[in-house]
Amino acid sequence: MMWLKRLFSRRRLYGELSEEIREHLEEKIEELVAGGMSRKEAAPRARREFGNVTLVEEDSRTVWRWPSIENLLMDVLYALRTLRKDRRFTSIAILALALGIGAATVVFSVVYSVFFNALPYKDFNRSVVLGIHDLAGTDGAKVRSYFSLAEIRALREQNHVFDDLIAYGRMRPTYDDGKSIRFFSFGAVVTPNTFDYLGVPPLLGRTISEEDGRPGAPPVFVMNYRLWQREFGGDPKILGTIFVLNGKPTTLVGIMPQQFNAFGTNTALGTNFWLPATPNYGRLQLMGRLKRGVSVQTAAADLDAIAHRMHGLNLAGVFPEEKFVIAPQTLLDSLIGNFRKTLYVLLAAVLLLLLIACSNVANLLLARATAREREIAVRATLGATRGRLIRQLLVESFLLAAAATATGCVLAYFGLKLVIALIPAGTLPEETVIRMNAPVLLLSLGLTILTTILCGLAPALHAVRGHLQPHLTGSGKGARESFRHSKLRAGLVVSEVALSIVLLIGAGLLMRSFLILTRVDLGFDPKNVLYFELNLPPSYNTDIAGTLQRKNALTRQLLDRLRGLPGVTSVAEMAADPPPLQYESTDTIIPGKPHTKLWETRLEMCSDGYFQTLGLPLLRGRFFSEDDVFAARDVMVVNEAFSSEYFPNEDPLGHKVKLDVFDKPYFAAAAPRDTYFEIIGIVRGFKTRGYDNPSWQTFPQAFVPYSVAGFNWRVFMARTAVDPAPLLKNMGQEVRALDPGVQISTSGTLEGSLQEFYRGPQFQLATLAAFAGIGLVLVVIGIFSVMAYAVSLRTNEIGVRVALGAQQSSILRLVLLNGFRLVAFGILAGLLASYVLTRFLVSQIPSVSATDPWIFSAVVAVVVSVGLAACFFPARRATRVDPMVALRYE
Amino acid sequence: MKSREQRDLFPGALEMMILRTLKRQPLHGYALAQHIKRTSNDLLQIEEGSLYPALQRLLKEELVKAEWSISSTNRRVRTYKLTAKGAKHLEHEVSRFEKMLEGITRVLAPGES
Repeated sequence: MMWLKRLFSRRRLYGELSEEIREHLEEKIEELVAGGMSRKEAAPRARREFGNVTLVEEDSRTVWRWPSIENLLMDVLYALRTLRKDRRFTSIAILALALGIGAATVVFSVVYSVFFNALPYKDFNRSVVLGIHDLAGTDGAKVRSYFSLAEIRALREQNHVFDDLIAYGRMRPTYDDGKSIRFFSFGAVVTPNTFDYLGVPPLLGRTISEEDGRPGAPPVFVMNYRLWQREFGGDPKILGTIFVLNGKPTTLVGIMPQQFNAFGTNTALGTNFWLPATPNYGRLQLMGRLKRGVSVQTAAADLDAIAHRMHGLNLAGVFPEEKFVIAPQTLLDSLIGNFRKTLYVLLAAVLLLLLIACSNVANLLLARATAREREIAVRATLGATRGRLIRQLLVESFLLAAAATATGCVLAYFGLKLVIALIPAGTLPEETVIRMNAPVLLLSLGLTILTTILCGLAPALHAVRGHLQPHLTGSGKGARESFRHSKLRAGLVVSEVALSIVLLIGAGLLMRSFLILTRVDLGFDPKNVLYFELNLPPSYNTDIAGTLQRKNALTRQLLDRLRGLPGVTSVAEMAADPPPLQYESTDTIIPGKPHTKLWETRLEMCSDGYFQTLGLPLLRGRFFSEDDVFAARDVMVVNEAFSSEYFPNEDPLGHKVKLDVFDKPYFAAAAPRDTYFEIIGIVRGFKTRGYDNPSWQTFPQAFVPYSVAGFNWRVFMARTAVDPAPLLKNMGQEVRALDPGVQISTSGTLEGSLQEFYRGPQFQLATLAAFAGIGLVLVVIGIFSVMAYAVSLRTNEIGVRVALGAQQSSILRLVLLNGFRLVAFGILAGLLASYVLTRFLVSQIPSVSATDPWIFSAVVAVVVSVGLAACFFPARRATRVDPMVALRYE
Repeated sequence: MKSREQRDLFPGALEMMILRTLKRQPLHGYALAQHIKRTSNDLLQIEEGSLYPALQRLLKEELVKAEWSISSTNRRVRTYKLTAKGAKHLEHEVSRFEKMLEGITRVLAPGES
């Protein structure tokens, strides 16, 4: 316990040391006096020869201490004291850093969770899903993601790029509960190696194994957590129960944990259970895990070679497309799509914001260090070493950064909740959980340390480099000394303004794009229109003629029933997904009008009430009659764009047109193959959206009676005179009354689904606007603090000017001009940077140009006015300088 | 502030000289300073004060011990004595120093290369 004794006896030790040194000096003086010197001369001589008493004492004491720790503690206490003394500086600096770090933590959390943690599957970042792009077809973008058994076998056996390959397909079996047969929930058939491949252990029971795939194995299935909770109350005893699915007794052998929803893509109807695929199940989707080090491009080349070799053999159902390419896509990309780009934009924005925050704090610290030059000079003169002073300043900035991190984490916690709420539903897989986690927190900590060094070291280095003497002599000289790094501070303000301009312009462009997107006249009236989609049981798909007849009879009866509901003004049936109303795209074949390029027409199969329900005005000719639809006549209504594009100088009415899509092998079996439709009417079209381009576009459109094809997606629309939402229940009753086996799968209102569609761009806009707003606040703080500081530094000069008769207005102008010069430089630099940087952003967003003059001038106006306001208050203070007070310092 | 090169010898040199001096006889601070100055013929520029941190280090390492007593000039002084550990340390340090010195001398000696 030596150290303990030492700690307690220190005081005594120090006392002894002082006494000893005093005695030493006394003895020396005595000896000098004895040597003939006067006492007055002897005392200073003795001290000179002894050296710096204080330093000697301090050095001697240091021997007994743990110097680093104790000094650090002292530095911390001192820093706390000074920070508390200067509350305004402290709170502004902490706020600025906290905003930067908080925003960065939010974005890093989202990015980390999505890119590295989005899915619970083993090595999900090496998983790719396969698709075939049909290049020869009517439209090059057609992607087939289902593969035939022979195709799957070829790819599985011949590839060199996959560790493992699984196949799966969504399905919906019937469920016989002993009383009635109805549809069960949505599920998937999977190859028996799927659960092995995904590597997620079950919550209860077991998963599907290779054994379950053997011929003759007893049928089993695995259920997901959601279905288990919702339908069976989370009862664990349900394991081992036999369900009659598609007429086959099937044993439930396992329940998967909550965070597992394989292939439950972004549709509202996830996959709720999994069955092993029988060897001859039919077409399935493919997912493979790339071998380590194999890129997606390499895989694409390998698979493409196999596919084309197989295509050359001309086997039925094996890569039948004339011209195609196999395109693997990472599993993550297939699930999140464009959200990856959104995240890149956010990452870039938040880095800009962080830069602004850091330069802001560096600026504050620089200004403060200048103001404290005298204090530092005094400390250096009293014997503080450079290292000690630097450490002191570093400790101070580290404390600031630590407080900012703590505050920033709190901000991030709430910010993250907000951002999660803002992320549009369906953007991310259900399995993705976004949260702050260890890596992200470590990153924040890293940011703190970086900020500390960045913001703390610059002023520290400056403070100890200069000559000390001028600072000590005080008055204006100290101020002049600091002119050198007033340039640095000005540079920081300029870059802050420039960075915020980039952010603001980015947000501005998004806002303009969003306004254009939402304000655009779509050409139809989405108010008071509801829709629902039907799920037809397997009994509707028999032979071709029967299918057509059954589906169309159901549609006709249902339309009649719906029309009779109170509050309904018109009803219609169609095949498209409800808005943004994406349609089947097809090449257009018109006799006597050959063309090499694709004539892309958007096709809709609808009932006669369709045009009235959407509110599309007839321009020429006539709509379908009820009779046209009933008799399934080959008639067609087209829109203006169709007419002007394909019949520029003639009347399209009466011409006959073939739509290529009906001849495609993947189209519904009951399709009007090789059929020419007669154009009977022209309507004002409406805007639709492309699959790849999110902006609204006008396409040539063609409408034919629904009764010509036995397609599966039956979507019904009703325009109502009242609020449409409550009517949906009545519609459901009508459907069930007609056929209890038919169910409504999705439903909603046109307005609602438009709003849902806008949530993606809204998210980008909201986050970027928030960042731009924070950036602007930081810029205001930055300009304000620098100007306030500059004014306080020039108090003397202003005092002299006032004493010599300068008017208040000229003082105001002097300060404002000085400050505004910085803002102007910043704006210039920012505009130049934006011109380059926003190009990337603009490639992501529709309907705006990177140099939109409105946005640029609006942003400049905002920054100019905000900059002037930030300069104004320090300037006004300058005009109130009392010359007497100012001159007294001289 | 004086730069360190001017004031210091090499690390440990002062401590070695103190130990060597104390080996001959116990001394108090002032006498120790005078003795080192005198013996070195004032060739070494040592601030008297720099002795004290060195003495504290030696005390902490228990190479010397200190005692308050009354000096011949009737002054309350703190006399430092070499401990057994100190003597051993000195021996070790001196032999190390001599080896180093020999090495340096050889390198510096003219005409041998």
